[in-house]
Amino acid sequence: MAMAVFRREGRRLLPSIAARPIAAIRSPLASEQEEGPLGVRSISTQVVRNRMKSVKNIQKITKAMKMVAASKLRAVQGRAENSRGLWQPFTALLGDNPSIDVKKSVVVTLSSDKGLCGGINSTVVKVSRALYKLNAGPEKEVKFVIVGEKAKAIMFRDSKNDIALSVTELNKNPLNYAQVSVLADDILKNVEFDALRIVYNKFHSVVAFLPTVATVLSPEVIEKESEIGGKLGELDSYEIEGGETKGEILQNLAEFQFSCVMFNAVLENACSEMGARMSAMDSSSRNAGEMLDRLTLTYNRTRQASITTELIEIISGASALEAAK
Amino acid sequence: MASNAAVPFWRAAGMTYITYSNICANLVRNCLKEPFKAESINREKVHFSLSKWADGKAQKPVLRSDQPEV
Repeated sequence: MAMAVFRREGRRLLPSIAARPIAAIRSPLASEQEEGPLGVRSISTQVVRNRMKSVKNIQKITKAMKMVAASKLRAVQGRAENSRGLWQPFTALLGDNPSIDVKKSVVVTLSSDKGLCGGINSTVVKVSRALYKLNAGPEKEVKFVIVGEKAKAIMFRDSKNDIALSVTELNKNPLNYAQVSVLADDILKNVEFDALRIVYNKFHSVVAFLPTVATVLSPEVIEKESEIGGKLGELDSYEIEGGETKGEILQNLAEFQFSCVMFNAVLENACSEMGARMSAMDSSSRNAGEMLDRLTLTYNRTRQASITTELIEIISGASALEAAK
Repeated sequence: MASNAAVPFWRAAGMTYITYSNICANLVRNCLKEPFKAESINREKVHFSLSKWADGKAQKPVLRSDQPEV
């Protein structure tokens, strides 16, 4: 209260009382404000204190976000590791052929809905663009299916004409197979493809994620490849039970493979997202801490300086009176 | 295998293997005894919104959800 009165007074009487304790403070922050217009006072400790308060609040938020990410990570990590068993048999049977050359490719880009999770979304987008460049060409078309808000926002800028589908709000409930399989079903029904390339971040550890491409071929392509006898040549040595033809079996297999691979990819990506968010929030709380330290130092120095100035004023005033006697 | 005879029928109905296997999985879930039944049914919730794109623009998103809208 007293400060406010002081300040108002100061605006009127500024030239006459220049040697106010607060105005006398010299700090790095003050120096650039000294040449301000008349009536604007130089730095007060108030500004620094406000700044400190806001930095402290930001630090609290980032710490809380880190905690949330850590607990979510623990929940999703086990599921992601368990789900790896779903696609491994498929890879053993049908192989993973990222280099296959087909007419219609569909790149399924998995990303997160929320930000503040480091670079995982930009890496998947980079990989998807590279896949686009590799596979696009005359008589070959590449379409994107985008899962997650973030990749959509980035892809929209330069390749919006190649987006076929976009999916969001996948993470509202805990991820489960039913959900992902419905999604896989929708993707299968809405795009035409010879090869689906699923781009996601494979979770290695809390700080390591590998951008990964999983390839799912359409039944026709598998059949063609196995007849040519390339990597899929061994497929004919398997015995098929029941009365279905090979084409039917392959179609069922390819569909089920896609939904399983999607399930694993979605989980791995969610896991990477949480890990990335955790480390991002960890470093931002650390940065906030460092900033707070610096600000505290400035604040204390300023305060000390003002106390010293006041003391000097009192002492010199007293000694002047003493001398006048 | 009883399911073999059914294949052409669900194919003809426009279902994929995924839909078919989901329906089968649901049937199995319904066969569980009580605490497990509710638990396994509650676990499998579907919610996402899907939008098709045409001419570089997103069409109106379709919400695929088995929960009533809030």
